[in-house]
Amino acid sequence: MSSENANQKHYHAFFFHTMEQQNSSHKLGMWAFLVQELLFFSGLFMAYIAMRYFYPETFSEVQTRNLLSIPMGFTNTIVLLTSSLTMALAVREAQLIPLQENEEAKLHRKRMIQLLVVTAALACVFLVIKYFEYSHKIHVGTLPGKFYHFAEWPIFTDSDGTVLGAIRPDGSIDVTSAPHIFFSLYFVATGTHGLHVVIGVGVILWLALRAKRGEFNGEHYAAVENVGLYWHLVDLIWIFLFPLMYLVK
Amino acid sequence: MGHSHSEHHVTPLSTYFTVFGSLIVLTFVTVGVSELGLPSTLSIIVAMAVALVKATLVATWFMHLIHDTKLNISLFLASLWFMSIFFIFTTFDMASRSNVMKMSGTFEFRQDRADANVAAGNVVVPEGIVAIEDAASASGH
Repeated sequence: MSSENANQKHYHAFFFHTMEQQNSSHKLGMWAFLVQELLFFSGLFMAYIAMRYFYPETFSEVQTRNLLSIPMGFTNTIVLLTSSLTMALAVREAQLIPLQENEEAKLHRKRMIQLLVVTAALACVFLVIKYFEYSHKIHVGTLPGKFYHFAEWPIFTDSDGTVLGAIRPDGSIDVTSAPHIFFSLYFVATGTHGLHVVIGVGVILWLALRAKRGEFNGEHYAAVENVGLYWHLVDLIWIFLFPLMYLVK
Repeated sequence: MGHSHSEHHVTPLSTYFTVFGSLIVLTFVTVGVSELGLPSTLSIIVAMAVALVKATLVATWFMHLIHDTKLNISLFLASLWFMSIFFIFTTFDMASRSNVMKMSGTFEFRQDRADANVAAGNVVVPEGIVAIEDAASASGH
């Protein structure tokens, strides 16, 4: 059909021979980016391993003192897993949109937009919960590095700015204790992850807008699929961050 | 023509819901296990094992790696390979470094500095300080 050919022309860029080639190139490019993301986050995980290796008592004590809210971390895990499901279902709806514009196409596109909006909404719920966690930490002073000023577990800073350890109730100093380092890791790791969530909300809503304009069908959905991959990776990283930060004593 | 490429594989809804259900169950498992009070090393191993199973489920089914090209799968596995090199060799380095630090007295040096500050009366015990034993019993309620 000539109209379908016209559509095909519109979908793939002139430097690709076929739609298939374009789709597989897009996906390979996305995977290259995701692999880079994994290596980038592995630096943060390595920092966690190193600090845990040097200060094992500190990491246990953070959990014993309940300085992170397990209910909030748990809720956020469920929220993020659910958003991963709705994202996967949105990609599935995009795959099901027939090439010919008809009622079925409209139905699947509508469902896809709804699922994308739900995914973005769940991402916002995640961020709101994160906001409450952060504001509590700012309030009590469990903050990174030199900003740390938690009264229940105080640290001693020497005149040159070196933190020598935590102050014990009897006035001595425990040099094996470094809560300010744990909270540096906590804020950098969850902050970087949170930034990815914020970017995720943006790109998911961008997809929803494009779909509303009538874009995407079972042949032409590489953008949806790639944003889906990105969103699952954000979920993947949280799957490791949650037990390491909130649970493991 | 449409069946010739892998991108057109549509996963059945039941698969997605089964994977999602397993992920939720595993989340409950990992929180439940952390409440058991296992020794530190064991609890890390269990938590990471559960996280690895969850990550595999997400990568295989949500990220469609099971239907993906060999090229993309290799790329993903290669990143895991390089990550493990990074983690293992850096851990070796740290393991040997702690001996060097012990031998060169890095911790003793810090302890000496801390003791000097205590002796000079620079350490002020702030109000509201909670000993770890008290914090542990308080969290038990």
